Amino acid sequence: MSQDSYRPSFTLSRVDASVAQPVRLFFASAFLWLILASIVSVITAIQLKDNSFLGGCSLTTYGRLKALEGNLFAYGWVTNALFGLNLWLMSSLTRFEFKNAWLANLGGVIWNLTLTYGAIQIVLGNMNGLSLLEMPKEVSLASFVGFLLAALWPAVAFSRRPTGHVYVSQWYILGSTFVFPITFALTHLLVLWCPAQGVLQALVHSWFYQNFHLLWFASSAIAAVYYFIPKESGRTVAAYYLSTVGFWTYFLFASWTSPASLLGSPLPLWIQSVGVVASLLMLIPLVILSINFLGTLSWNRGLSQSWNNTTLRFVLVAIFALILWGALFAVFSTRGFNAVVRFTSFNVGLEHLLSYSFVSFVIFGATYFILPKVTGSFWLSPKLVHLHFWSSAIGTVSLLVITLVAGWQQGSGLRTDWPSGIFPAVLFLIGHIAFGINAFGMLTAKLSSGHESTHA
Amino acid sequence: MKNIKLIFAGVLFTLSASFIGILLSGRVQLGSLGRAPAEEGGPLFPPREPGLAIQGRQVYISLGCVACHTQQVRPASQGNDIAKGYGPRHSVARDYVLQPSVLLGSHRIGPDLANYGARVSSENEIHSHLRSPKAGSAMPSYAFLYTTGKDGSVVPTEKATALVAYLKSLKIDYSSPEAKLNQ
Ligand code: HEC
Repeated sequence: MSQDSYRPSFTLSRVDASVAQPVRLFFASAFLWLILASIVSVITAIQLKDNSFLGGCSLTTYGRLKALEGNLFAYGWVTNALFGLNLWLMSSLTRFEFKNAWLANLGGVIWNLTLTYGAIQIVLGNMNGLSLLEMPKEVSLASFVGFLLAALWPAVAFSRRPTGHVYVSQWYILGSTFVFPITFALTHLLVLWCPAQGVLQALVHSWFYQNFHLLWFASSAIAAVYYFIPKESGRTVAAYYLSTVGFWTYFLFASWTSPASLLGSPLPLWIQSVGVVASLLMLIPLVILSINFLGTLSWNRGLSQSWNNTTLRFVLVAIFALILWGALFAVFSTRGFNAVVRFTSFNVGLEHLLSYSFVSFVIFGATYFILPKVTGSFWLSPKLVHLHFWSSAIGTVSLLVITLVAGWQQGSGLRTDWPSGIFPAVLFLIGHIAFGINAFGMLTAKLSSGHESTHA
Repeated sequence: MKNIKLIFAGVLFTLSASFIGILLSGRVQLGSLGRAPAEEGGPLFPPREPGLAIQGRQVYISLGCVACHTQQVRPASQGNDIAKGYGPRHSVARDYVLQPSVLLGSHRIGPDLANYGARVSSENEIHSHLRSPKAGSAMPSYAFLYTTGKDGSVVPTEKATALVAYLKSLKIDYSSPEAKLNQ
């Protein structure tokens, strides 16, 4: 079939071919945003060390670049990647052949154009003061429509699936697909369009922020872990019967944890306490997840088997990150510990643990598995894969050590300065460029070889 | 769990539970909060903000100061903010009722500013801090908010003037029914 390919390529399965186009679009945009976000994050890290760096004009002042970095990472990288990941995973689990790729493409285009517009507005200073809601309110409607068009397909695939069997992954994907648009709409309404009064804004914001991270980011990533562990290790999930309890307790408690991020704030005490209790209750689903994940991989040399599999290697790091996050989150949501680390870099570390060490690592692992299936070519260079893994892994561990330790020290009065984190930021950039070269090599190889994927 | 409606209904239930339990009940408790006197018949607090300060808040937001500064003083039982001198009493919900956008913040790369207006002695001090912060500090310079006049003197732009008015207006110097100042 392909006359001109200089590297092995293969034919896509019918199901993969039916989603290949939108999945490639989502991944390609995700990788571009990731690299851009990493560049910005190197700049902001340097600015913390040298306050005159790129400080001469308002466009590149720290406050704007920091907001830009967060938005590009969350809406550009993670969200686009999850559009692709959830769509591919669902269609491949249901064996559903997707007929409306153009609608998903349209959704992706709208989402990314709105994000581009919003990002420019942030740099121009036309922004709001709540994190991840900085983009001006006129983007709300367009992003919402973009999201629905890009992200609701897993639900369609599920309800029209030809096969009857249902997997745990599918619950989590459906859950996150439903939660995000509702949360998004309610929050934009209550914070940007008809702002709630006073500190209620902060409460709505915390609810949004927590739902966004736990019920869109993390629950999509959990879905992928439930898929890749059995798929790549050839084992069945340990204590599978617990997974239903895990799912429902996860969704039940996660969004109640939001006030835990407001301890000591001017909000009513009872609301804060609800958040603390929910953070402790989150240990229930997290223990179940660890039993399901590690229980499957830990016996009979499963861990070393995983280490030798590119996808599982990333997933393995991610699982440990999730467990560590759950433990730290529960402990540091209690009043005594929280009083020490509140407002310090400790929280930067906790957030990184969830959205990078867990969620992004799952996405990386998943990409190494999925991209060949939707491009029909193989990864260009195993060396770059190694470079990506090691720089991201060392970067993530060093960022965690720096921010968590410094946060604790700041809180106990042993230190006053904020850690800048230039070293991890540079490592991330290197890793992401390695990842990007490999990924775009595959994405463009397909285009240049010029045969339609749907021939399969 | 093979039915999409069941999953949808379940997830919707969990989400609305927290929405009602946290946000709506929070609203019931705080939604009607307004200005109030500390003592029967006294002046109403928090005070109305000067117009320039309202514009200044917009500058504060648009330059992203909230990335590094919080505006909330925690009670003595929940951290050492008062001991550190961030304010004479802890912040209460009523302090924020007049603010169109609330900037509690979540990172303290710099000090808390909830009571900054009471700490600072003069406008000039704020201007010179914004224009040229201490060397080696993480606080960026906002020299781009200033121009040079014909005689070589430094002239603040409108934005700088508004921002300074806003910073000066940040004060916790009154008692509220929920938290009294210690005399
Ligand atoms: C990169 C983080 C950062 C950003 C962004 C930032 N600051 Fe600061 N700010 C600091 C640090 C660190 C200090 C303390 C060291 C110092 O005084 O230079 C500080 C100190 C201050 C102080 C003095 C506080 C006191 O108690 O003496 C004021 C006022 C202030 N900043 C206002 C602002 C305003 C207004 C903005 C936005 C235009 C802003 N800051 C943006 C980090 C930041």
